[in-house]
Amino acid sequence: MAVQTAPTRRRFSREEYYRMAEVGILGEDDRVELIEGEIVEMSPIGSRHVAFVMNLGRLLTLRLGERAFVSVQSPVVLTADTEPQPDLAVLRPRAYKERKPQADDVLLLIEAADASLAYDRTTKLRLYARAGIPEYWIVDCAAESVEVYRNPGPEGYRDVTRAAGTATLTLRAFPDVALTTTEIFA
Amino acid sequence: MAVEVATTRRRFTRAEYYRMAEAGILGEDDRVELIEGEVIQMSPIGRLHRAFVGNLGQLLSARLIGRAAVWVQNPLALTDDTEPVPDVVVYRPRAVPFKEREPDAQDTLLVIEVADSSLAYDRRTKLRLYARAGIPEYWIVDCAAETVEIYRDPDGPAYRQMTRATGAATLALPAFPDIRLTLAEIFA
Repeated sequence: MAVQTAPTRRRFSREEYYRMAEVGILGEDDRVELIEGEIVEMSPIGSRHVAFVMNLGRLLTLRLGERAFVSVQSPVVLTADTEPQPDLAVLRPRAYKERKPQADDVLLLIEAADASLAYDRTTKLRLYARAGIPEYWIVDCAAESVEVYRNPGPEGYRDVTRAAGTATLTLRAFPDVALTTTEIFA
Repeated sequence: MAVEVATTRRRFTRAEYYRMAEAGILGEDDRVELIEGEVIQMSPIGRLHRAFVGNLGQLLSARLIGRAAVWVQNPLALTDDTEPVPDVVVYRPRAVPFKEREPDAQDTLLVIEVADSSLAYDRRTKLRLYARAGIPEYWIVDCAAETVEIYRDPDGPAYRQMTRATGAATLALPAFPDIRLTLAEIFA
């Protein structure tokens, strides 16, 4: 007897995903990401999310100067069927006009989470670690804390720390660049 | 499994689904259906499935000639975001040709799904969709058991009547009481 299976979803490649945008199936109002071939809707964002992403964007840009680029909610290509749009990414400086940011351009990736906390800690974490993203922060908007993940491996990140209250965070790629949780959660 | 935590997938309308085919995103090798906005791959076709769909198509076409249209593995649009590809559909005759307007649930007399690996799905998801659409009669042909489940009288997301035909049974079509099929013929 045949093994009973639930029919599977058709997964889409990045090319097919771009083509959907080209032909108007996906439009400007679609806040979506491509995650392992599935087109996933990004959760609506609240005021805390907006504020904390703005703070981080501003602080990182000012403190990094010309040493790195700060990208906000722009796509990062991870694999043939995965292209998330993280809230923030600190990128190696290069020309991005012809080629979108790839995993190896990313020095730090940040997701701000309100409704998506569990997803950012499981699915997203696994994808980012597998892609070798060297440092990943999850900003818990409700708790006003930052989880810092370093040392990616195939199973996840080996080192995790959590910053809350009055703490100072530095970037693995730029240890002289510091941000305080007070500043982030202003 | 890709998505470990419940997250919202982007659902597609039938219009977007057709557009995917037009744009070459979905091609000839894609055996897919649109089920509640999701593009679902149909199970691979096994030998038994092939044989029984073939038998049903031939038997019904022959016996209903001039009285009803019998379509095999063609899409059936149910709602704005659902278009399965049932194994066999018997359509009542209608004035407007199919080439001018595609058939819908109201044109159907019988939908048949032949199930080898998809039995649970056909009994749950497909059944709910066909019942909701008001399809008057739905058969699930169980390849492994060589039985036919007959569902009649749709009521909301379910059918009020279910019978199972086994062994030496003969099936009749309510719309054509003189037409008979035996299980032996279906499972030949």
